[in-house]
Amino acid sequence: MHLDPFELYRPSTVEEVVRLTRDLGAACDVLAGGTDLLPNYKMHINLKPNLVALEEVEELRSYTLERVGSMTRLADLDRDTDFARAYPGVAAAVHEVATPLVRERATVGGNLLVETRCFFFNQTFPWRQSLGFCLKADGDRCHVVPQKERCYATFSGDLAPALAAVDASVELAGPDGRRTIPVLDLYDPGGDGIRRHRLRPNEIVVAVSFPAASRGLPANYQKLRIRPTFDFPELGLAAAGLVESGTVRSLAIAAGGLETYPRRFDEVTRPLVGERLNETNRNAASEAIMRSVRPVHNTFLAPDYRRRMVGVYVRRALDRLANGPPGVPG
Amino acid sequence: MRSMSPPRPLRLTLNDRPVETSCPNERILLDLLREDLNLTGTKRGCDLGTCGCCTVWIDGRATLSCLTLARSTEGHSVTTIEGVSPATGLNPVQKAFVERGATQCGFCTPGFIMTATALLRDHPHPSRSEITEAIAGNLCRCTGYTKIIEAIESAASGDR
Ligand SMILES: Cc1cc2nc3c(=O)[nH]c(=O)nc-3n(C[C@H](O)[C@H](O)[C@H](O)COP(=O)(O)OP(=O)(O)OC[C@H]3O[C@@H](n4cnc5c(N)ncnc54)[C@H](O)[C@@H]3O)c2cc1C
Ligand code: SF4
Ligand code: FES
Ligand code: FES
Repeated sequence: MHLDPFELYRPSTVEEVVRLTRDLGAACDVLAGGTDLLPNYKMHINLKPNLVALEEVEELRSYTLERVGSMTRLADLDRDTDFARAYPGVAAAVHEVATPLVRERATVGGNLLVETRCFFFNQTFPWRQSLGFCLKADGDRCHVVPQKERCYATFSGDLAPALAAVDASVELAGPDGRRTIPVLDLYDPGGDGIRRHRLRPNEIVVAVSFPAASRGLPANYQKLRIRPTFDFPELGLAAAGLVESGTVRSLAIAAGGLETYPRRFDEVTRPLVGERLNETNRNAASEAIMRSVRPVHNTFLAPDYRRRMVGVYVRRALDRLANGPPGVPG
Repeated sequence: MRSMSPPRPLRLTLNDRPVETSCPNERILLDLLREDLNLTGTKRGCDLGTCGCCTVWIDGRATLSCLTLARSTEGHSVTTIEGVSPATGLNPVQKAFVERGATQCGFCTPGFIMTATALLRDHPHPSRSEITEAIAGNLCRCTGYTKIIEAIESAASGDR
């Protein structure tokens, strides 16, 4: 499959990236590892005439345990045992992304902004054309939830829930300067589902940063998919927290792979802080989270099954935080 | 005719030799190798990242040429299946694949050889689970993987 022509820019500083993307406006995409963008371009999905590659920008490639540049390759994080000790849940999620060959090029920033997925969207141009294009690319209606206003494509990045569970932030740079926001504020639960993020025009992700309290916090990540390699999450459940002699000191649970955006379930986990964890409140929490999610039928596994697995994974996640060694990967 | 952006110069190290060529921005590395440079050992399976047939090394790391822009390799080093054998004969992984019958139709084989050769370079004595983990991005529709794993184990132990 050949790509349509585009202009390619390879700036070397964040400031140059911002200037370029501002000048090019909506007619450009930024290119990180390309493992999500290039397959979509090959399938003629939402092509832009300009690409701004981030790979030459030194600042984006640098990383420490406090601050991970957006162009950090997932394979580098995966090989880093210090990172796994510091953030076991995030490391487990990194390890579950795609395949080792993809992870050599895939980046952290690209993972946070990975395009949402749907049966009717991740298809070649002729496939989509033969059925009639959908709202998210080239058309005006949704084939999953028939209407013309909102897209229900599924957020399928593995890192966002794991980062959200440990209160990580993202540092952004744009025409108005730099700002830092909580990871989940990147996503727009109130949006139309077509645009998958809340970045301001021409803003890019510079880095992910971790609060000191998240270092070494017990955490885990469980991923539901058909094959234990290659496949995107049909559910990704991240949990992080401290349970001391049965009493919950801190707790956060977040999920991806279910809806158009990743979510945290603070309304369920907050009341558990200070409580002793037992089968009753564990099951009640898992039930409450399961009831609050609304997957639709646009991925491989049936929505009802994915919802039920939310319940199973929440129970397992809590058991692991209570009993297990930290960060045993799901 | 498909439209293309104008060719731009591209300099890289290919199989340990400096190469100066040119290609349009939208050229994918796999196409540069196969169509422009006649290195057809690297195979096109899915063209979308889901099979591993197109595996090459970029700066020594096994990755997918179908998901890499050729221009991203400017100034970098690319190694293909044509570049992993000694001057004569085969490397130990290649030999083991032949001797253990780890290849049937052979279409996936260059990709597996690239992945496995990189694995043994970095971890000369991998466990079975490290092997299966390393080849998790390479699909084979013929062998059922058993012989492939055995071949990699035998190359690692030097027992052939
Ligand atoms: C076979 C296969 C399997 C996969 N399986 C998984 C999986 O299991 N889980 C998963 O999470 N992903 C999966 N992916 C998708 C993808 O590989 C990863 O999400 C990867 O981390 C994306 O990073 P990238 O650098 O390649 O992104 P790119 O493709 O370069 O970019 C992705 C999107 O993010 C935008 N972007 C990138 N960086 C920035 C930035 N710094 N600031 C602003 N915007 C930015 C781009 O414009 C683009 O829209 C899979 C891909 C393939 C091909
Ligand atoms: S959910 Fe509907 S609008 Fe969104 S990609 Fe799928 S079919 Fe298209
Ligand atoms: S051709 Fe590149 S992964 Fe299939
Ligand atoms: S030998 Fe035929 S695909 Fe592997």
